[in-house]
Amino acid sequence: MTTFQSIGLPLLAVLALITVVAMVRHSINARAGFGWLAVWIAAATAIARPSITITVAHALGIGRGADLVLYCAILGMLIGFFFIYIRFKRLDREITKVVRHIAIHQSERGD
Amino acid sequence: MAENSDVWVVVPAFNESTAIGAVISDLRHFASNIVVVDDGSIDETAAAAEAAGARVLRHVVNRGQGAALQTGIEYSLSRGARIIVTFDSDGQHSPADLPILVAPLLEGKADIVLGSRFLGSADRMPALRRVLLRIAVFFTRLMSGLKITDAHNGLRAFSRRAASMIHIQLDRMAHASELMDQIRRSGLPYTEVPVHVRYTQYSREKGQRGVHALRIAFDYFIGKWVR
Repeated sequence: MTTFQSIGLPLLAVLALITVVAMVRHSINARAGFGWLAVWIAAATAIARPSITITVAHALGIGRGADLVLYCAILGMLIGFFFIYIRFKRLDREITKVVRHIAIHQSERGD
Repeated sequence: MAENSDVWVVVPAFNESTAIGAVISDLRHFASNIVVVDDGSIDETAAAAEAAGARVLRHVVNRGQGAALQTGIEYSLSRGARIIVTFDSDGQHSPADLPILVAPLLEGKADIVLGSRFLGSADRMPALRRVLLRIAVFFTRLMSGLKITDAHNGLRAFSRRAASMIHIQLDRMAHASELMDQIRRSGLPYTEVPVHVRYTQYSREKGQRGVHALRIAFDYFIGKWVR
């Protein structure tokens, strides 16, 4: 086992454990929990057996396993940013509703 | 003009303490119900508007012109407004246009009346602004299908029925395009009337910069996704 594997694999195991605990406590919903578990398992597999990434990379027409990991990470981040932005916009609207409610309510109290 | 008490004028304002007093004083010659929505100003906008005779609603934090308009519209509806006019706070619009704007509503010819500076006149409009507005008109016609000549003119009038159907969700400047979409979806009759817009040094400094056009377009498209 390499040094990176001896650090990375326990770290991912802890993250997976935290995810499972969060699911059991209903801190996150099941769909999000299984999504994160899939990410941790994929990362653990890539770290434990780097040759698998090379096989998958070749199957997808990518030269190196490292490139596959990099592309997936970038794609994942972009998708993540997009969904966070959408969620931010929804939150923004909720704030507006609260601000509007306060404005109208305060005015009515003053009348 | 209509019974003064039937017409409510909504004026969204953000840091407009230097202009708002004169705007409200001029408006009071034409309407008695003036609602200024102070959109989280850090200057004396609210005090100046109140001193000039407007009712003032305060957003505790800045939410944008679209949000302020919706707040003013909801408040006016709750107070029994029959006609709601939206009016900019920077002194660009002429209060004398109010009777022209409201007339098609009173005659039953339309439920929504949009002011158009291109049918009317615009003093000292910067060339770049003219080009951007023309692009905005093209863009809005394309997206909403409305046959309009001016897209981002804040001078508009709505019947109570129309105002009840309008729900501005885009808080910032993209609300103008969103509004056109909602007008089309409502199926209510609309018309444009010629209005006068004057560009002063002050209004030019306060107005949107050309580079904001892309941001507005981006917000508009994102707004179509986020419900």
